[in-house]
Amino acid sequence: MFLSKPKVLAITIASAFIGLFFLFCLGWAIMDHYGKGTSDKEVIEETAIKKNDFPDDFTVVAIGDSLTRGTGDETGKGYVGLVIEDLKSEYNRKPIIHNLGINGQVSKELVQQVRQPEVKRQIQAADVILVTIGGNDLFQKGRTLLEYDREAITVSQKSFLGNLHEIFKDINKVNDTATILLLGLYNPFIDLDEDFDTNRIVRDWNNETAEVVALYENAIFVPTFDLFQLSVNEYLYSDKFHPNKKGYRLIADRVAPLIKWEDVER
Amino acid sequence: MNNLVQNEMMKLLAKKRLIIIGLIVGILVLMFTYAQYKQVEEQREKLGTDDWRAALQQQIIDTQNRLGSNRMLDEWREQLQVSLKQQQYYLDHDINPSEPGAATFTRMFLENAIDLFIPLLIMIVASDMVSSENSQGTIKLLLTRPVERWKILLSKYVTLLLSVSIIVAVTALLSYLLSGIVFGYQGWGAPVITGFELKGADVDVSQVRLVEQWKFLLMDLGLVWLVAVVVGTLSFMLSVLVRSTPAGMGIMLAALISGAILNNMVSSWESAKYFFMVNLKLTAYISGTAPPIEGMTLLSSVITLLVWWALALIVSFTVFTRRDVY
Repeated sequence: MFLSKPKVLAITIASAFIGLFFLFCLGWAIMDHYGKGTSDKEVIEETAIKKNDFPDDFTVVAIGDSLTRGTGDETGKGYVGLVIEDLKSEYNRKPIIHNLGINGQVSKELVQQVRQPEVKRQIQAADVILVTIGGNDLFQKGRTLLEYDREAITVSQKSFLGNLHEIFKDINKVNDTATILLLGLYNPFIDLDEDFDTNRIVRDWNNETAEVVALYENAIFVPTFDLFQLSVNEYLYSDKFHPNKKGYRLIADRVAPLIKWEDVER
Repeated sequence: MNNLVQNEMMKLLAKKRLIIIGLIVGILVLMFTYAQYKQVEEQREKLGTDDWRAALQQQIIDTQNRLGSNRMLDEWREQLQVSLKQQQYYLDHDINPSEPGAATFTRMFLENAIDLFIPLLIMIVASDMVSSENSQGTIKLLLTRPVERWKILLSKYVTLLLSVSIIVAVTALLSYLLSGIVFGYQGWGAPVITGFELKGADVDVSQVRLVEQWKFLLMDLGLVWLVAVVVGTLSFMLSVLVRSTPAGMGIMLAALISGAILNNMVSSWESAKYFFMVNLKLTAYISGTAPPIEGMTLLSSVITLLVWWALALIVSFTVFTRRDVY
């Protein structure tokens, strides 16, 4: 590269200006950060939920706990992923899927979650809503089994049913045409329990849940208790609580046929 | 003086280092652009939609699930909680934190490059500014001229400042121009949220305000420039002190890399905040990420950096003007 004197001079001057400009930017950044800034002090307001602007494709929204998340399935799909795969192969199209499952979520937290604006917006666009909730309310990470306390279970069951009403009401407020599939609980402790006490508790829990679900026209209660009843260990992950890949397959096989993919104009 | 600076500038340009730096930046930007393009595509595949709100919601859910796992250091949990709250804030206010476009890419690139990549680029130029004269023996020729020594060093330092400015500008420009090929050249006016105040895992949103992205980008550039100048000055000092260029480079490299490592683990060692390398991530303060040590602020970091800068200058000039050359 031939370097003439004027060329060097031009580069020198240009870079000097760039440097001064950056120095100015630096001062600006510090001033702005400490509130003497020039940036717009716009008041940011919570925006109302946006009208659904998703494409009008078939949309599945899955909410709930670790079962929705797919914990225990080493492929990470969970029953939601498997259901989607089934739908895809049956209809040759891919639905939109929003999996909002959070490990360890209890019904109280789910009530909060369905009130978030973005979650509402997604529910609004949904054709099917898959829900797994209650497992953590009841089992409390196995504590229920260790310190068996009828009273405490009745209390948590009562608050669970109340929360369930809230969840259904909130969903119906933004979307009353979507089918809601609520999965019942299975009893992961069936083999540990000789007096079949936990069985009775889970059965009772499921019955009460089904009663609540029956009050909502567009909701369906999907039992899973029987799936795990006979050979629970074959279908449980090594934590003896979550389903494994096979267990999720069983659940998915029950859920997928219930979903009817129709192109409904919303 | 003017002639001296131009003489130094001529030497610098003749070495073609700036062109090499430009090439490095260009290649890296292309790689990152491709990586991000792939990521966006995979996300669309996974969600079945390219709606950013759905993607952000999914990120929030993923973070919540990570927070749920027990095996996590408290500091990491805190940082995750902070970013979770910010993501939720963006979502609740219907603002896309990463509006697609070259302007956003440039901002993200600068924010990630400020503490290691940009300093490394600066090192390429700064670390042999003086020591190369030693190794080539030209220092004698330079010093036998009838000019005072401090003027010679000053002319070198001014040249360093100029080339630092060029490097920062070229980095920004290249990342804008190259990423724009894929993402488009828009995004200047997109709103960015600044002013999150962090108190441990809590995020105070009372001071939060919207800034147009071009303003935010310029502020980022100012901060990047300061970091580049300070790192450049420190390498400059080393090139005065250490006669061999590789040794000087090695020392600086060790400092920078230890800074990158320390950033992840110093939160319990409070006096580490006086190290310059822990203070390099200035852009994190205005975008609202948690600092490595609680209690660090933009001002404290800037002051720390300026103190290091001043000391490096004093040492450089004292040593250079007093040293015997033979």
